[in-house]
Amino acid sequence: MKKRSSLLKWLLIGLGAVLLLIFPAIAKNRYQVHIVNNVGIWLMLSLGLNIAMGYAGQFNLALGALWGAGAYTAALLITRLGVPFWINLPIAIVVGTVLGAFVGLPSFKVRSHYLALTTIALGEALNLALVNFDEITGGALGINRIPMPTLFGFPINNDERYYYIILIMVVLAYLIGRQIVSHRIGRAFRALRDDFQAARAMGVNTGYYQILAFAISGAYAGAAGALYAQLNTYISPDIFTFGSALIVMTMILVGGMGNLVGSIVGTTLLLVMNEYLRVFERWQLVGYGVAIVVVVLFLPGGVVELARRFQSYRQRRSARLAPEALGGEGD
Amino acid sequence: MYLEIDQLTMRFGGLIAVNNVSISVEQGEIHGLIGPNGSGKTTIFNVLSGYYKPSGGTITFEGRKISGLPAHRITEAGFARTFQNMRLFKTMTVLENLLVAKTYRGRVSMFQEIFNPVAVRREEQWFTDNAMELLGLLEVAEFANDLAISLPYGHQRRVEIARALSTEPKVLLLDEPAAGLNDVETENLRNTLAKIRDLGVTIFLVEHDMKLVMDICDVISVLDYGKKIAEGPGPSIRSDPVVIEAYLGKEGNQ
Repeated sequence: MKKRSSLLKWLLIGLGAVLLLIFPAIAKNRYQVHIVNNVGIWLMLSLGLNIAMGYAGQFNLALGALWGAGAYTAALLITRLGVPFWINLPIAIVVGTVLGAFVGLPSFKVRSHYLALTTIALGEALNLALVNFDEITGGALGINRIPMPTLFGFPINNDERYYYIILIMVVLAYLIGRQIVSHRIGRAFRALRDDFQAARAMGVNTGYYQILAFAISGAYAGAAGALYAQLNTYISPDIFTFGSALIVMTMILVGGMGNLVGSIVGTTLLLVMNEYLRVFERWQLVGYGVAIVVVVLFLPGGVVELARRFQSYRQRRSARLAPEALGGEGD
Repeated sequence: MYLEIDQLTMRFGGLIAVNNVSISVEQGEIHGLIGPNGSGKTTIFNVLSGYYKPSGGTITFEGRKISGLPAHRITEAGFARTFQNMRLFKTMTVLENLLVAKTYRGRVSMFQEIFNPVAVRREEQWFTDNAMELLGLLEVAEFANDLAISLPYGHQRRVEIARALSTEPKVLLLDEPAAGLNDVETENLRNTLAKIRDLGVTIFLVEHDMKLVMDICDVISVLDYGKKIAEGPGPSIRSDPVVIEAYLGKEGNQ
């Protein structure tokens, strides 16, 4: 029984992997691939925020600005200095990490909701800096004609090719994220979320782990920024805001806080829903609002909780069936 | 001197919670700290474990000053504690609760943690073995993979002691470990404390259960209104008129 279900699981994973690998070939048009590429970028953001917020309980609502920092770093490096993709991406990640850690500094003094407020303020300040240092950043107009990457002489000059870069990055981001959350670091994160004082008494260096949580979400946002800039070839400050951080937060809430699969489910669900609801453009945010209320009321663990509930239902059912089977044998 | 609390004073605004208290705890002993409610016992624990910086006085441990260090550094120095109102990590299993206490023992770097699964697994195994041993000592090993807060109250108390031991402390601070336990469980706790002492861990104990304190403590310090009013072995404390007065009031003073 157990063996069969794990075989089924691997079959599903294999099928999913094949579908992901051949997706550009089976997509209806280039636009669909473009949409999926954007899903990948939001996935990077929501994986990072889920580690900081879902696991460590650190509200990093400067995420939009950190995303912007990554995007501008990569865009400026390639347009001004001609630094290629495979170098500007790691630099963008470093910039995101450092700024993320910086945004986390107030966590030494303030906690939970107050900390969330300071991160909003720092994020918006960073966003304003993007607008106001216009001789470098191009101001409100942003930066355009950002070249798409060339890897080993092979131009990644369309969405289909770029798709594979994003696929690799998201898979890496997920695997690295899983390593982070499933062992020592993840336990320290959850400890400071569950009970800050007890965590201190157990020898957890809470200050270090808080900053680390912010830095990790910053690293993910930095990577997402570099990918975003070179996918869309145009960036401007108006997307790198508190609003975007809120959207990512919604994705995590809907998918599942403190669960990386929840990030994937929530992000995909919201963005796909978004495409189908595009005709009702003005209702989009209302839809998000309703989604949050429904999830918080009925599925506090997010959509992934459905799977867990289904599993425990099956366990209960087989537990109920087992004694009967034994009784039958006794006859 | 092993653990030396020297003229410790803790002020909160105008309130003096602990007033010029000196206590020394010898290595390997079980040292009791008793006193009526509000006499400053838990405050002393909170200073000891680094939650408060003392307003005056110092605490030295193995000749090193530890007062004023942040809480996690004090744990590293060899202190572990439990809480009056149990603070288990509520989303974690019993085993995970103990593994958190291993965080600072980790030798695997963050880079290795992400890119070297073999090193991570080896360390996790080592931590898990040690944690399971402690759960065995506290007789809660069978619940290792249950959610800690789903256990009965008495078992949670034991998990909390196991978690404190999981930091591999030299001194264990127990804040009312018998609170809410029935007679059988208290008797069990007594045996457990003896076992822990036999491991070479010094125990500093705040407790209201007088029978337990008198039975098991080598030395008892008595606090009243933030001041130390008596100190000595159980029998001498039991017959000390100052202590009796603090607990029961002055004779003919009703």
